[in-house]
Amino acid sequence: MEPDVSIETSCMIRIAVLPIGTVPPTLLRDYHSMLLRHQTIPLAAISPFYTEHQKSPFTNQPWDSGSLWFKFVLGGAPASPWEDFQSNRKILAVIGICHCPSSPDLDSVIEQFNASCKGYNSAHVKRCFAFSPCDSHLEDGEKKGDNLILFPPADRQTQEIHLLTMMQDIAASLLMEFEKSVLKAESAGTILKTPLDSQASLSSEEVIKAKKRRLARAQKTIGDYCLLAGSPVDANAHYTTALDLARLTTDYFWHAGALEGSVCALLVDRMGQKDAVIEEEVKYRYNNVILHYRKSFIQDNAQRVSPLSFELEATLKLARFLCRQCDIDIGKRDIASGQSDVLKKRIKREMAKDVVDLLTSAADGAKSLIDASDRLILYIEVARLFGTLGYERKAAFFSRQVAQLYLQQENRSAAICAMQVLAMTTKAYRVQSRASISKHPHSNKETGSCHADGGRMHHQSVVSLFESQWSTLQMVVLREILLSAVRACDPLAAWSAAARLLRSYYPLITPAGQNGLASALSNSADRLPSGTRCADPALPFVRSFQAMPNPPFRLYSFPFHSSQMDIIKRNPGREDWWTGSAPSGPFIYTPFSKGEPNDNSKQELIWIVGEPVQVLVELANPCGFDLRVDSIYLSIHSGNFDAFPISVNLPPNSSKVITLSGIPTSVGVVIIPGCTVHCFGVITEHLFKDVDNLLHGAAQGLVLSDPFRCCGSVKLKNVSVPNISVVPPLPLLVSHVVGGDGAIILYEGEIRDVWISLANAGTVPVEQAHISLSGKNQDSVTSIAYETLNSALPLKPGAEVTIPVTLKAWQLGPVDHETAAGKSASGMGRHLKDGSSPSLLIHYAGPLTDAGDQSVVPPGRRLVLPLQICVLQGLSFVKARLLSMEIPAHVGEKLPRPVSVETNSTKGTVVSENKMDNLMKIDPFRGSWGLRFLELELSNPTDVMFEISVSVQLENSSSENSRSVDKDATEYGYPKTRIDREYSARVLIPLEHFKLPILDGTFFMKDLQSDGTTSGKSSGFSEKNTKAELNASIKNLISRIKVRWQSGRNSSGELNIKNAIQAALQTSVMDVLLPDPLTFGFRLVGSNSEQAARFDLPKESSVSEGSVLAHNMTPMEVLVRNNTKEMIKMSLSIACRDVAGENCTEGTKATVLWAGSLNEITMEAPPLQESKHGFSLYFLVPGEYTLVAVAVIDGANDILRARAKTGSPDEPICCRGPPFHVCVTGTS
Amino acid sequence: MAATACFIIVSRNDIPIYEAEVGSATKREDAAQLHQFILHAALDIVQDLAWTTSAMFLKAIDRFNDLVVSVYVTAGHILYICELSSISGDSVDDYGGRGAGGLMIVNSGSCMILLNPLYLPGSRIASSHFDTKVRALARKYL
Repeated sequence: MEPDVSIETSCMIRIAVLPIGTVPPTLLRDYHSMLLRHQTIPLAAISPFYTEHQKSPFTNQPWDSGSLWFKFVLGGAPASPWEDFQSNRKILAVIGICHCPSSPDLDSVIEQFNASCKGYNSAHVKRCFAFSPCDSHLEDGEKKGDNLILFPPADRQTQEIHLLTMMQDIAASLLMEFEKSVLKAESAGTILKTPLDSQASLSSEEVIKAKKRRLARAQKTIGDYCLLAGSPVDANAHYTTALDLARLTTDYFWHAGALEGSVCALLVDRMGQKDAVIEEEVKYRYNNVILHYRKSFIQDNAQRVSPLSFELEATLKLARFLCRQCDIDIGKRDIASGQSDVLKKRIKREMAKDVVDLLTSAADGAKSLIDASDRLILYIEVARLFGTLGYERKAAFFSRQVAQLYLQQENRSAAICAMQVLAMTTKAYRVQSRASISKHPHSNKETGSCHADGGRMHHQSVVSLFESQWSTLQMVVLREILLSAVRACDPLAAWSAAARLLRSYYPLITPAGQNGLASALSNSADRLPSGTRCADPALPFVRSFQAMPNPPFRLYSFPFHSSQMDIIKRNPGREDWWTGSAPSGPFIYTPFSKGEPNDNSKQELIWIVGEPVQVLVELANPCGFDLRVDSIYLSIHSGNFDAFPISVNLPPNSSKVITLSGIPTSVGVVIIPGCTVHCFGVITEHLFKDVDNLLHGAAQGLVLSDPFRCCGSVKLKNVSVPNISVVPPLPLLVSHVVGGDGAIILYEGEIRDVWISLANAGTVPVEQAHISLSGKNQDSVTSIAYETLNSALPLKPGAEVTIPVTLKAWQLGPVDHETAAGKSASGMGRHLKDGSSPSLLIHYAGPLTDAGDQSVVPPGRRLVLPLQICVLQGLSFVKARLLSMEIPAHVGEKLPRPVSVETNSTKGTVVSENKMDNLMKIDPFRGSWGLRFLELELSNPTDVMFEISVSVQLENSSSENSRSVDKDATEYGYPKTRIDREYSARVLIPLEHFKLPILDGTFFMKDLQSDGTTSGKSSGFSEKNTKAELNASIKNLISRIKVRWQSGRNSSGELNIKNAIQAALQTSVMDVLLPDPLTFGFRLVGSNSEQAARFDLPKESSVSEGSVLAHNMTPMEVLVRNNTKEMIKMSLSIACRDVAGENCTEGTKATVLWAGSLNEITMEAPPLQESKHGFSLYFLVPGEYTLVAVAVIDGANDILRARAKTGSPDEPICCRGPPFHVCVTGTS
Repeated sequence: MAATACFIIVSRNDIPIYEAEVGSATKREDAAQLHQFILHAALDIVQDLAWTTSAMFLKAIDRFNDLVVSVYVTAGHILYICELSSISGDSVDDYGGRGAGGLMIVNSGSCMILLNPLYLPGSRIASSHFDTKVRALARKYL
């Protein structure tokens, strides 16, 4: 069988084209292509070279319209045994091609040419074309004879004209030779034989039969020559005769041959005409041809030789004819009326059915073919015809059959053929190498549009990505490509096939198979030069990875410090230029911003020239072997990015997130399509998009497996690579906390100064900077030295400024306490909760105008410096309560020393006497030693010791009872309390000096109103006013109490217990703040000055020393002071009690005698003044006595009732004074 | 009589959604691959032929050597492709009737799967119930 046969093959003159001497392959191809231009030589052009030696047998030669057809066989071909049967199979001419510069000796060229020609007995014309001869060649070339034709060096056009002339000459010579042959065939008695009938020795019968058949065969041969000579009418005439004769002699084979020739003659005659009748005729006749070839099948010699190949050839010829007709058909109709595609398809479909039937039957014949190469040719032809029909998959199927036949031959060239044939099938099986896809513009466009879609794909388009996923077939094809590539010693193709196989089908390959592929990859790579690139990526799978929600690409500058440095659009018109950048306004959702590309999929990212950037990618190795990635780096084609490679080791079935870094080098746009990976010895580019598609398919269940999920990686939403633009250099502030970048560990309430160092690591000075706070617990930053920063501006590149910041640790909430407890139980001891720390936002920017471009304002930047404050649970507040105690005052001149009533909190500490005195105060309105303490119970759950110090700040101006305090002191300090670890302690805070001088009705307005009674005295305004005054005074009181603590050398802070104090005070604030309506005082009316008993001046009273003698009448007086603004009428009673509490003045066993009235004394006390009542006591027994004054107020007004908290107006209001001690000493 | 058969359901977009190797013959890997290759190649012919006829069952639409491909095309262009080997001359006709019946029953089964709202067009049919059903039908009709 022969490849590329068609019906017209019968009229083609075969010319062997042989290279003579050494001809470089490219030149040989070039010369051959020059020859190919002259495949058709019109008869009209031959006529100058043609001389009619005798009467031409081609009587009907169309000299004006006919032509000769050449078929150039490069490299020649061995003689076919079927030459006699079909004359077109003969090599009728030989053209030698010689390249003079490489074979300068013309003699030897001629010698070689003659030697080569010897193999071609049937060649009538032999010419040797010598190209590019030099002058000497030209000189002696003339002598070498006709066969050598020199083509002098000239331009291409001249050479082609020269060549055309030579070809016309050859054509003319051939035509003359054909005439001779025809004449010879007519006359001579040569017996024409085919392998079919030349087997055994001829019996006599056979000889007779052969003689009979000879005539028919001769006619057929003449017909062949007529066809070759371009005279179809003559040929037809001879064929008709041959057909008749062959039919008579039942010479089916030659009958079929003649029939075939007649069809060819018909077609050549009607060349260029398209006619349904002809088509039908050809179809009919060729079916006949096939039938007759089949008939000629002889069982005897079927083992040796068979006409089957002719039958198949005829089938293929018909199929090719129909294919071509179909194309012509469509083309014609297209021109005629612009038919739609649907109609075209229908025509093709109708035609295709016949062709498919023919091809299927031809393919069926393959198994009966004896010669393996015949089968090869058959499959090739079938595949090609299916291909022209548009049946890609059919073509691929037969191509694969071809490849398998090639692979059966164990040699390298066959393997190369197999590999190439298989490479053609990859498109149909969708296992193309990416190299071949990228050549295809259409598919390129398709992928481009996919990319533009930004990852949001519809299901249909996803399906289309994975259509025709016949994994079994694809694996087989790839395996065969790998096998053939290995045999063909093409390491790159082998690598590519193994890579595709491993990457796409690893879930279907056993671990052993995966290992095999891995070794195939590395073996192939060993044969490749280092640095070879391959279009098809192998492992690992690489996807862009989003570590943090926004942005996926993090910037980093120093290896140990990673912080976000956003780029902020700058609003040059405003002082606070950064404000416009963030979405502002009262609405979370702004309808005006809806149209903007606000979604995450299209993030804009700005990189800065010269600043290193990081991109996180995730690698996955789903295979069962260790994967060593020699280097991986971002592949960026725009040329303005320097990527830094790193190497990674991936254990089996694992995934890893790595950071790839690089530096943008110039302004522009950066697109990151993927990564460049050097793995298995070859450099490949791994596109993120491919993996995204794969993952998308896996999510839809269309792909076998998700490589990342099977490696245990978390499932992530697809991350699309944002648009990145590179801008000119900006200043870059780098911050660090002086003294270490670790978390600042603070106890609750601790106050500490930290120093933040800001350095400009960029190449542009910082000209504007502003610090603001964000995040939770902003009030924990109590001060920032803005001035320091401002004074340091402009901050030159490399310069550094240190800013002190004062921090005050916040209180932990109850939840925090629990977590803290949990953590400390596990030994952590500290906890840093994300998001609870405030952040410093430093907006800064470089010069307002760029040097190059005046119109564009370079953006500013924002440095987010999260203060990593770790608040530890410090002293915990348990409860607060108000304690009050009264120490009876002594009646007399001598008062007890205050030191004796010191609380335990002050015990053992050395404090100045002056301050100690302040702790104890005589209540000027109550007349007794009154002590009110706020008791705070604190526990120390930590493992360090705390020292508590309480101080009360005094405000000179605002204190109502400032007369009673030391005016010089602004603050009272009290001795420190130490709380050891895991202990609790109580701290007493004295509350004093906080009485109002007058009991005013306004304080009770609220209470009155709530009781339903109206005072009618004050307007609402003043009510509020006074209420606010009261609240303010409470607040004032609280704010003056400061509880500070210190722990160790460095930690100190303040307890935030304002709320606790307020809660504790709320219930008894009235008692603390408001004076009683009446205050009582006793004093001796004696020799000593009155001042001795004037208790409202404690300093003086401290020096008075008085005692009462028994058996003496002691004159005393009681002082009643009215603290209200109204006159109070009362009935006063005085009681005297002994140590046991018995009333001494009444009863049978009275030990105290008295003069004056002690009971039911009616008194009137004018507003804010004192009244006196004198009496005398006579003590019979020395000892301690207590005097108490009680007054029942008559006709109490509302204020007094409110103060006494009485409900009913009838209830008597009783005011009881504090007890006064009287120390009675014996006289004896 | 058929010794072995390969049965494939091909969804639109040429995605094979179900594959089964049924029949009595011992399975050889390369043979199984060949079956699939033939079925894949037959799609070309099916695609053209399905539009030229109103019949849904396209009997012996393609062949390679002694392997014959028959197709049942649904209205939604889901193809049920069955390929049989070793069919003697007369049993092709015989098979035609029975095969069509069998494939129609398979169709009713697969319709249930395809109509499942959770089934994604183009993804594989992984139902073991369906698989056993197909194999039982294959034993019955082949």
